[in-house]
Amino acid sequence: MKGFTHFISGIAVASFFPQAVHMASQEQSFILCLGGIFGILPDTLDFKFAKYFHKSDFEIRPDPDDLDANVIANDVVKAINKAKETGRGTVQLHTMQLASNRWRSYTLGFDSKSSEVCVEIGPIVDTGQIPFEGTELKDPKRSVARVKVDDCEFYQQFDKKSQIAIMTGPCFEFVKRENGKIEIVFLPWHRTWSHSFTLGLLISFIVGIISFLTVGDGPNPELYTIPRWMLYPLIILFGSMVHIIEDSTGFMGNNLFYPFTKDRTNGLGLMSAAEAIPNFLFVWTSIICILFNLDRFRWAPDEVAAGISSQLAFWGWFYLLPLAVMAYYFFKGKREKAIKAVKTVDFDSQSGAEQETDVSVI
Amino acid sequence: MSELLNYLLNPGHLDLIYFSVIGVLFSCFISFLPALHIYNVIGIFLLVVLKFEAAMAPMQLISLCIGMIVGYSILNTVPATYFGPGDESLSYYILPGADWLAKGRGFESVILTGVGALGGIILLAILAPAFVWFLPGLKSITAPHMFWIIGAVIAYCLLSEWPKGLSQSENCWTNFFEGWKYLGVGLITFLLSGILGFIVMAKTMVPIEFAFQSITPVFVGLFAIPWLITNIINIGSIPPQHEPESMELDWDLVRRGTFGGFLGGFFAAFIPIVTAGVGGLMAGHATAQRDGRLFVMSYGTCKTVYYVGSFLLFFIPGLSLTRGGLAWIVTPVVTSLTVKEYFLFVAIMIISAGFSFLLLIPFTRACIKLVKRVPYHWISVLALIIVVPAVYTFTGWGGMAIMTVATGLGLFPVLFQARRMNLMGVLLLPVCLNMAGYGNDILRFLGLL
Repeated sequence: MKGFTHFISGIAVASFFPQAVHMASQEQSFILCLGGIFGILPDTLDFKFAKYFHKSDFEIRPDPDDLDANVIANDVVKAINKAKETGRGTVQLHTMQLASNRWRSYTLGFDSKSSEVCVEIGPIVDTGQIPFEGTELKDPKRSVARVKVDDCEFYQQFDKKSQIAIMTGPCFEFVKRENGKIEIVFLPWHRTWSHSFTLGLLISFIVGIISFLTVGDGPNPELYTIPRWMLYPLIILFGSMVHIIEDSTGFMGNNLFYPFTKDRTNGLGLMSAAEAIPNFLFVWTSIICILFNLDRFRWAPDEVAAGISSQLAFWGWFYLLPLAVMAYYFFKGKREKAIKAVKTVDFDSQSGAEQETDVSVI
Repeated sequence: MSELLNYLLNPGHLDLIYFSVIGVLFSCFISFLPALHIYNVIGIFLLVVLKFEAAMAPMQLISLCIGMIVGYSILNTVPATYFGPGDESLSYYILPGADWLAKGRGFESVILTGVGALGGIILLAILAPAFVWFLPGLKSITAPHMFWIIGAVIAYCLLSEWPKGLSQSENCWTNFFEGWKYLGVGLITFLLSGILGFIVMAKTMVPIEFAFQSITPVFVGLFAIPWLITNIINIGSIPPQHEPESMELDWDLVRRGTFGGFLGGFFAAFIPIVTAGVGGLMAGHATAQRDGRLFVMSYGTCKTVYYVGSFLLFFIPGLSLTRGGLAWIVTPVVTSLTVKEYFLFVAIMIISAGFSFLLLIPFTRACIKLVKRVPYHWISVLALIIVVPAVYTFTGWGGMAIMTVATGLGLFPVLFQARRMNLMGVLLLPVCLNMAGYGNDILRFLGLL
């Protein structure tokens, strides 16, 4: 899901606490923002920290002056062979920057049927990934390579080519499974410890101790069932949980109980993380929930008139109607794609990853 | 209903159309002035230079303003595309706009934003009756929460900037610092802009008679001069521009672009201090926009809905919401707001939008001709020669000092390729903290109180 989706969902979750809404309106507290910040935190941890400290067994730095797809493919095969021998092997593929706005592109794919690693050197592209005509390699022997991996069967969730062109290239992990198959894991450092219930619980526990020691009762404690100090850890916990739950609806799952579980689970595959309508569905639901909660938890409801005069009209006009419109366009889009027999672009997977400006969508 | 129609179709109101057309034509000229925030420019011209407030009937002045703001919101894309951005709301558009221009597709980009803008006006007009119904409720729900909503906007803008760089070193820390260099510059830019905002708001150095212009030197320094300097230094020329015979457009693109842009523009119009750039960024992420054409069109809708919508809010009966400098300018001449005046506003808005859209193609062609004849960097030099004395005239040496500091800050993201949006910290941070009641503490900490 988009970073914004996680962010606003976190705020929506925080708004379900009446005391937090009262703190915001009466004490000028930024506590509701805490849900948003921790809603986006798992991706922040991955893309601003974890990414840099992940060490790969093999790094592929293609030489733009001496391009050969066979060299790249053979290096990838080395990582697969390492996985066959030791259980795991990782490879980092780097991009080739030729000038400030010029990149040499190449693609990497894994053919499960023939157990081949397929590499193809592509044209020169600009940072917007627009190719320059006539810049493809002329020698077919060096521009395309298919290297067979002996005694190996691939297992991958997505059988799409990965385009390596601009900025940072992707990383793959090859894991030997119990059935002897080699699983291809895209971005092995992503959605692991940062996207686990355990980390959410740990942070909440630490914040809980601090808030227990430092946060007082606040005004009118008799109005609330949850003590004020407990609000902070709960908002943090639910904020980060909603991120994990939303991500689980896509194709790439999370490592829910790190370090007790070693690998990422598969997602539910209900929707693709970069699809516009599912993202907007979560965003709109969050906005509606926030407005509804801010109104029903307004301070002194007997003295201040409600902003929502009719709940039926509110939910009908502002939620059910947009929901019906979204459903119409979502299923219409699905039908059209099915008719055209065009594969949906799935940004959970390798194909769209390098093209995405908001990395949290991956 | 018939009474309303009679009112709208009254020939006596033709003068309002005349003034709105004058406003649109005037906006062509205004849109050339780099980085002078439109509301301030209109303020200078209407109140100081022309003294229109005294010379015109209230509704005529309002029609002139509608024409100007609608025209500006649609036409300013043209100079922004060919000569650089006009203000902070346009800075969001620079990179895609420059990209299209570099590919010779500047004309296409302008027309797409124009279609988006027209879509935004149509949506505003369609939703105008509904605004009367639901906006008072929305206002009463959100009013006590504005400070944290702005706080959330700040948090998202800072958190949603992702590291750049190639990360190809074998040393993790080198890669880490390379990626964080951009993020660090963004954070520092935001913080320093925020401090500048506190200083300007607490101890303005602008003469008291031009106090309403106190933010102008800040915007000129943050957004205009760095861009002009970059244009002057850059050795390069605009490639030949292609004027297509037809545009590749479909309803799906129009629907998605207009919808996403409308959300961003409406959010920016409704929430104080948030501009079209910030609103557009958030709406773009909320609706998962990726297509380049979609972005450009959505941007056109967003800025139009932001500029025009914030003015429209002022006229919604029973809402009493004053957003943007233009609404403040007309406040003294508006005694009462009725449904009739509101719908008259909507009618003039549609007429102005239609006229502006008709002007868009000839205006773009004129700009292309200008760019062909006059070297690009000379236009920037000329703009610099106009802007700096203008700031001195209206804000004195104090304003020049503020502008100089702001220019230094404005160069930060340009030099380090960070988000220029971080410069909006100049308004977002002080306003957010002031609304939350922490403003005086910060001022005391900075030694300003």
